[in-house]
Order: sequence, then structure tokens, then C-alpha cells
Amino acid sequence: MQRSDHQRPGFSLVFWRELVWLRRRPLLFMLVFVVPLGLMLLLTAIFSAGLATRLPIAVLDLDGSELSRSIIRAVDATPDTAAVLHVAELSEGRHLIVSRKIRGLLMLPHNLERDVFAGRRPEVVFFYNTQTFTVGNLVLRGANSAIPSVAAGIRISLRTAEGQPVEEAKTAVTPIPLQTHALFNSTLNYVHFLLAALLPAVLQTAVVTTMAYAVGLDVETRHRFAVLRRLGGGLWPAMLGKLLPYTILFLSMLGIADAVLFKYLELPLRGQPALLVFAGIVFVLSCQLIGALLALLLRPTAAAISIATLLTAPAFGFMGIGFPRIAMNDFAYGYGELLPGTWYLMARIDQTIRGTPFDLSLKPVFVLTGFVVVLISLTAIRVRIMRRSIPEQAS
Amino acid sequence: MSTFFAVFRSEISRIFSLRPVFSVMVVAAAIYAVFYPQPYLNEALRKVPIAVVDQDRTQTSRELARLVDATPDVAVAQVLPDMPTAQHEVYSRSIFGILLIPRHFERDLLHGRSSPIALYADASYFLMYQRMNGAVTAVSRTLGTNFEIARLVGLGVDPPVAAAATDPMPFVAVPLFNPQGGYATYVLPAAFVLILQQTLLIGVGLLGTMPGAPTPSGGARRSFGDVAYESIATLAGKLLAYLVIQALIVSIYLIGLPYLYGIPRLGSVAIILAFAVPFTLAVGALGLVVAAIFRKPVAVQLVFAAIGLPFFFLAGFAWPAEAMPMVVQWFARLLPSTLAIDGLVNVAQLGASLSDVRSEFLGLWLLAATYAGIAVIVEFRNRRAVWDPAIS
Repeated sequence: MQRSDHQRPGFSLVFWRELVWLRRRPLLFMLVFVVPLGLMLLLTAIFSAGLATRLPIAVLDLDGSELSRSIIRAVDATPDTAAVLHVAELSEGRHLIVSRKIRGLLMLPHNLERDVFAGRRPEVVFFYNTQTFTVGNLVLRGANSAIPSVAAGIRISLRTAEGQPVEEAKTAVTPIPLQTHALFNSTLNYVHFLLAALLPAVLQTAVVTTMAYAVGLDVETRHRFAVLRRLGGGLWPAMLGKLLPYTILFLSMLGIADAVLFKYLELPLRGQPALLVFAGIVFVLSCQLIGALLALLLRPTAAAISIATLLTAPAFGFMGIGFPRIAMNDFAYGYGELLPGTWYLMARIDQTIRGTPFDLSLKPVFVLTGFVVVLISLTAIRVRIMRRSIPEQAS
Repeated sequence: MSTFFAVFRSEISRIFSLRPVFSVMVVAAAIYAVFYPQPYLNEALRKVPIAVVDQDRTQTSRELARLVDATPDVAVAQVLPDMPTAQHEVYSRSIFGILLIPRHFERDLLHGRSSPIALYADASYFLMYQRMNGAVTAVSRTLGTNFEIARLVGLGVDPPVAAAATDPMPFVAVPLFNPQGGYATYVLPAAFVLILQQTLLIGVGLLGTMPGAPTPSGGARRSFGDVAYESIATLAGKLLAYLVIQALIVSIYLIGLPYLYGIPRLGSVAIILAFAVPFTLAVGALGLVVAAIFRKPVAVQLVFAAIGLPFFFLAGFAWPAEAMPMVVQWFARLLPSTLAIDGLVNVAQLGASLSDVRSEFLGLWLLAATYAGIAVIVEFRNRRAVWDPAIS
């Protein structure tokens, strides 16, 4: 480290020392570059399709009529479901669902066509599996859109057979048509909903644990802690010089992920980019400070890393993306409130897909800024307490 | 045999004496058992708040709003005068949907014209969207059908005939498993398997990288066969130790916790536990491979901290494997969690028999054998290196 021989103590000395460490310590390098990028790439690959389409379902057609064939065609034609095979009995279909070869089973009863036109109201039954939540709901959506539309066709033809004009019959069968508009994510794309939220969630864990380790390197022994302070020429420059290299690097990782999302995966950016970037900065800083504080409070560093993992690894569930926060119990709601990720995801959803007006976008950004202020103060207090416990050495 | 028992005993005692290992394998497992399920314990999302913008202000429009409010999924939290006000509330997240009932809604209905309504539902949270869409669709269909029947009866059609004409082919959707659509019932069985994998993987990774493992004695040159035998005995001793420790933890996670959290179980305990054996062995052996790759306890801790979340989605449970690229599907099969989540959920929640999940069961044994083979080779090289440093 040539620089340290020539430079005066201060911010830049600590800053550059940290960058040299990053180059010389393969583990630190891996944690800052390889792990976040690798995990984010993996998640992106998993969800790259964005939509799960043509999920396989089976048909048990006991009728074999023109009507039953048209129902099968309709179910096959929805984007959600594909009728891939015929089964001969119910137990066979159930067996295929259990082994997940198929995702649903459509049962068309004996004499379906005859009974429909005789007004006997035969039931069309669709079996599906809600244990796999997303997939179960998707195949249900497919069946739920296909079969009522076939039924509506029958109702129209029943009326036209009575001599009613086609247009009039069409109006009559749906007196209250519902137009549903999916606000903010009209195609219900999982990339924009889930992947866009998972990437920062993974980064949150990576940042908190990595910072616990990086700060741990300096505070593991009293001697090293004193060295850091002397190199920085004071508390604030030392802290800033220690944290800032990671802020820049982790923000770059977030930037790379976002560039892929915006450029290749067509995530819309309907809000203010400046607000999104600012939210990203305070998010990364909050995570860093949590990690740093854990390293300052807990010894040995391995314990700080363990606690950091314990607090952040299960955090995604608490941030209310899959299962909304309004339905959580008080503990889970409160814990979510304390996670930087919860607020960052709110700000992120606001500025990307929602395009929330400026005045309504400020709350999550303010909260994150508040986190940073509180955490910096706590860190400073902790460092002062630690300094008092170290006997002043001659410099 | 003496090597086998010595390694077994030493590994058991190290699990209890090394604090980081004990913290991860026992303490963390205990904390996660309580901590992880918290967000999902209410099971269902109910009463998603929406606003009604009623431009009609008639008895029928109020009846529609009341019916929507009466569904378990949606609650009418506000009645607002116009769309801009309602949109403002959506942006501020106090409501998540807007039901717009246009002017002349009642008049058009009574005149037999089509009388559309509109739902603007927040799709930035899919579960909320799904609830709102489902509830309002059902209400509009039911109310519409009632009007249609009333009209037909008014025209002199017999009520049963009118009912058949409005709904000639009822559609019945039957959820075979998790019939309430509970979120905890969906997510926890899979998440528990993943937590087991994470804690055991990190625990064994730490065991393999921390000092204090019984070191092979140096001294006299040994034959190839002796070293190979010792390596295999060492690995077997270690894996048996993990199996013994995990026996209790795995049983609690796969049988006890689902019971405590009220998650229905259809499968037999015996099959679940039989399935857990190759899973535990595969994860334990993978942990030893991980230890050989990363070499430092802190590296194991840090690299695996954030890996749980991607592994969860890789399992093809929350997001269908059919929708993933082939490369990802193949990579996923290298992880014990992928096969174990498929197999264990099928057995426990869907009541599958062992023959239903034969491919997952055999796949886990194959993974266990492969990783154990790699671990034996690593052990063998380490032992040879003791008396012949040139090899390493």
C-alpha cells in the first residue's frame, strides 16, 4: 500500500485502502460482485418468460359430442391452459395431478350436449391443484374464461332459436358486463411484479451481510479499530471512507439489474427517475448501516454475520409482495415496517409501474432517509463508546 | 470400523461444541420455525379495501355496492364522488380498486339494455388483484343472472326454464388440495424444506471448514487401498452423524410444525420420513463439497446468506418449471431442495404414494451418491497429502 505512506490521514486514504482490499481479498470481491450479480442473474433467468402460458391440463370427455369438443377447443385456446391429453377415468386424472404431469382436469359428463339443450343443466367440473398456488390460479383463470364463454354461446343460440335477433340476444345474456382493468400491470407480467421486487430483496441480504463482514475486519481487534480511526484522521472521514466504496459498488449492481429490467424486460418507468435513484441510494445506505452497526455491536464478526443473515434472509415474505402486508398479523406488519426493503420496494413500485404523482411518492423516501439518519447517529454513538474504551495510544 | 465410529463420535460432539455450527443447525432452525411463518399465519387475504364511484345513485347501484361489500374478499372502504379522487386514493394505497357504476346503470338495466360496470383493480399486487377481480366478477354475474331470469319470467317463461336458459351448463371448479386457498398452507411446506436445506448446508459447510476435525495421522506410508477405505469410513461416519442430528429437526419441520400451524397432511408419516433420509444425506454430502470449495467458515456463511430466496423460486413450486429456460431447469435438479420440495409436498400435502414420487426419490439418492462420491475423493486427496505433500 504505497499510498498510505504518502497521503495525509483523511477520507480518501480510507477510501482507497478499502478499494485495495477489495482487489486483494478474493472473498470480499466475490461478495461485492460475483454473489449479487450471480444471484440476480439466476432470478432473472427463472422469471425471464414473464408469463406462464399453456399450462398442461387433461380432459375426461365422457360425452364425445360436438359440444364437448368445442369446450375442449375453447380451453385449449386460452393463453393460460393447453389441453394436452385425454384420460379415461377420474382416478387416472387425479394421479396425473398428484405427480404434477398435468395442472388441472376438465370433466365433461355423459350426455352433456343432450342435457344442455334439454334444459337439465349438467355441470362441467374442473379439478385443479391449489397447493401450487400460482399455477392453480392460472389454470383456473383459463378454464374460468373459456367455459362461461362457451355457455354464453349456448345461451345466445337458445334465444336465437326462439326467434330473437342475434344482437339483442347477445345483450340479453350479459345484462351487467364487467370490464376489468388491471391497473399498472395490464398483462399481469411476473417480471414486473415479482422479479422487479426480488432483485432488491436479494441485494438487501447481500449488502447487510457483506457490510457486517467488511466492518468486522476493522473492529475485530481494538488495535485495528484504532488504526482505522487514525487513517481517517477522525470519526466522520473514517466512517465515510469505509462505507462509500461499497455504496458505489452495490448501487452499481442495482443499476446493472435495473438496466436489464428496463432495457430488455420492458419494465416501465412511469415516475421520476431521480426519485428512484435517490430511493436506491438511501436504501443501500440503510442496509449498509444495519450491517455496520451489527458488526460494531456483536463480537466475533461471525456472530454479527449470523444475526445479519437471520434478520434479512427471511425478509422477502415480510415485505408484502406475494402476500400483502394488510393481511399480516401485528408482529409481521411491524417487522416489515423496520426493513429498508419494504420501503424501497414501495418507492420502486411507485416510480416504475405505478407512476405515482410526486406528492404521494414521498413517504417511503422520507422513511428511508429517516432510517439513514437514525442509523448514522446510532453508529456514531456506538463508535464513540468504543473509542472511550480504548486507551489513547501515542500516534 | 474404528475410523467410522471415531469420526461419528467426534462429529457429533463438534456439532454441540462449536458455537457457530450449533447456532446454525439448532438455534437458527428453532428461530426460523417461529419467525418465518409469521407473515402468513392469517392464511387468507380478506376484505381488500376498494372504493365505489357511484354515478348512478339509485337503489340498484347501492344494492350492487352492498353485494360487493358482502363478499369475504372485498370491502367497500369508501364511496367517492369521482374517478380522480378515487385514483388519488389508489396511489396513496388506502384502497386497491375502484368499482365504477356509471350513470343510468339502473335505467339501462330496467330497459333491458346492456348496463356495463367497470373495475379498476391494482395489479401491482397480484393477490389483491385476483381477489378483487374474482369477487366483483362473481357479483356482477349473479346480479346479471337475476335480472335475466326476472326478465324472462316477466315475458311469461316458467321459472325453472328461465333458470336453465340463463345458466344451461353450470361451471364448477373443485380445488383438490388446499381447498381454502390458504397462503400458509401453500408456502410453508415448501419453505420448511428449504430452511432445512439452508441450515444443514451452512452447518456442514462450517463443520468442514472449522478446525478440530479428526486429522489423519502422519507417519508411515499407507497403501492406496487403506487410504481409500479410511476416506469412505470417514465420510460415512460424518453423514451418519448429520442424519442422527437431523432426525429430530427434520421430524419437527416436516411433521410437527405443519401440525402446529394447522396445515393439512394427507400423506403417511412413514413415507415422509423415508423421503427425508436421501434428502438429508444429499444435503449433508453437498455441504462437505461446499466446505471443500470455500475452505473458510466466514466464506460459507456469507456466500450462502442470500442464496435461499433464489433457491426457493428455482424449485418450480411458486413459479412453474415449465416456464423456466431449460438450462435453469437442469441446474435446479442439481439441488436437493428442488426434488425434495416436489416429492415431500406431493407426499405430505397431496397424499402421493412412494411410487408416485419414485423419480424424485431415486433422484435424491442419485444426488446423495454423487455428492458423497465427490466428498470421498476430496477426503482421499487430503489424506494422501498428509504423507505426500507433492500431491496437493
